[in-house]
Amino acid sequence: MNTMTPPTSTPAPASPKHPTSTRFTRALGVASLVGIGWLVAFGLFLSPNDRVHKTGVRILYIHVPSAWLAYLAFGVTGIASGLYLWKRTRSLMWDRLAGASAEVGVLFMGITLVSGSLWGRISWGTYWTWDARLTTTAFLFVTYIGYLAVRDLGGTHQQRARRSAVMALLAVLEVPLVHYSVKWWRPLHQNETVEEGKLSGLMLFSLFVGIISFTLLYVWLVMHRQRVLALNDQVDDRGLDVALAARREES
Amino acid sequence: MEVSEEPAPGIDLTPRAAVPTAARGKKKPWFAYAVLVLVLAAGGVFVFNFLTNAIDYYCNVDEIGTKDGCDVDRNIRIQGVVDKDSVSQEGSVTSFVITFNGASMPVILGSKPTGLFQECIPVVVTGKVIEDDNGDRFFEGDEVLVKHSEEYDAENKDRVATANGEAEACSQKD
Repeated sequence: MNTMTPPTSTPAPASPKHPTSTRFTRALGVASLVGIGWLVAFGLFLSPNDRVHKTGVRILYIHVPSAWLAYLAFGVTGIASGLYLWKRTRSLMWDRLAGASAEVGVLFMGITLVSGSLWGRISWGTYWTWDARLTTTAFLFVTYIGYLAVRDLGGTHQQRARRSAVMALLAVLEVPLVHYSVKWWRPLHQNETVEEGKLSGLMLFSLFVGIISFTLLYVWLVMHRQRVLALNDQVDDRGLDVALAARREES
Repeated sequence: MEVSEEPAPGIDLTPRAAVPTAARGKKKPWFAYAVLVLVLAAGGVFVFNFLTNAIDYYCNVDEIGTKDGCDVDRNIRIQGVVDKDSVSQEGSVTSFVITFNGASMPVILGSKPTGLFQECIPVVVTGKVIEDDNGDRFFEGDEVLVKHSEEYDAENKDRVATANGEAEACSQKD
């Protein structure tokens, strides 16, 4: 059995001052900040209260974008995992992209659950109920925490990539289950608002500002995180190189 | 091509232990295994609670006594819109009437509703239908949850729009 770790794909160039940033990611970071500033302005001050929810409607501008971003992140994890498993495109770059995207997806899913719970207290009168949408969302959240744990079980980079890619392809099947749970069951959770055109004016605009700024933030976080993962792999491989060099010096 | 079996000078080919790369053994993955155990336990709890909760039939008011599972004296969840001018509070007991597809049901709740509970709003009440000696039915509720629709409307449009909205919400009982 070959126990040596084969060379990985070339990680991003790093410098002590900007270990994972480039001019593009810095611009992206600024754009994300501006977007979030807009979201704060529209979400908290410029958009009107809802007729029924009053000011509680503002949770929507965080809740919906974070849920969509979690779906996107898990979708990217699934696609990147598929590309890793496909022999013609196999590269550890896809594995690191899958891992980075899943980490950010778990973050956004956590925000979705917390903001949804607050919304539930204000709207329904309870923080939590075992409703189909809530339960499947919580299940998706712990599934991807499990995925991240599977990535950390040890072994070579290739072993990690293979087993986590298989799990990601299974886990991503839960995403449509969560999304369509409001149609397949009779849940307390409302049906789609945006797709059904039930939101308009500044409220709809504020929601789009949230989706765009969260998307920029997602791309920025994933780019940095996958570069950190590449550097981690590089450090792992360097352990091998150092050991080989030491062995050569012995002889 | 002839291959020499003699090692090249200066290279030691003595077998040795596997190279300790960080990727294989940098740390014990006990934490990852512990997380996996917790994840499996949490998944089990979610599925159990969801299925336990799903045991209670979900009925619209007009389905009581007509749909399978929506029977008298059985724990169910009932959905309807709170009738206008029907909410009253006596101590910790709240009573109101809910309506769906023309059928109405009085509800007696042993607690004070929270959330957006108000007249003309769709709600889901957990409890059971009780039939008294006269054959009249009422719903003895344990919990009421507000089921808000997916529609959102700016509060400050004008008073007419608000009034229209309320009328529309309450019109489901007709």
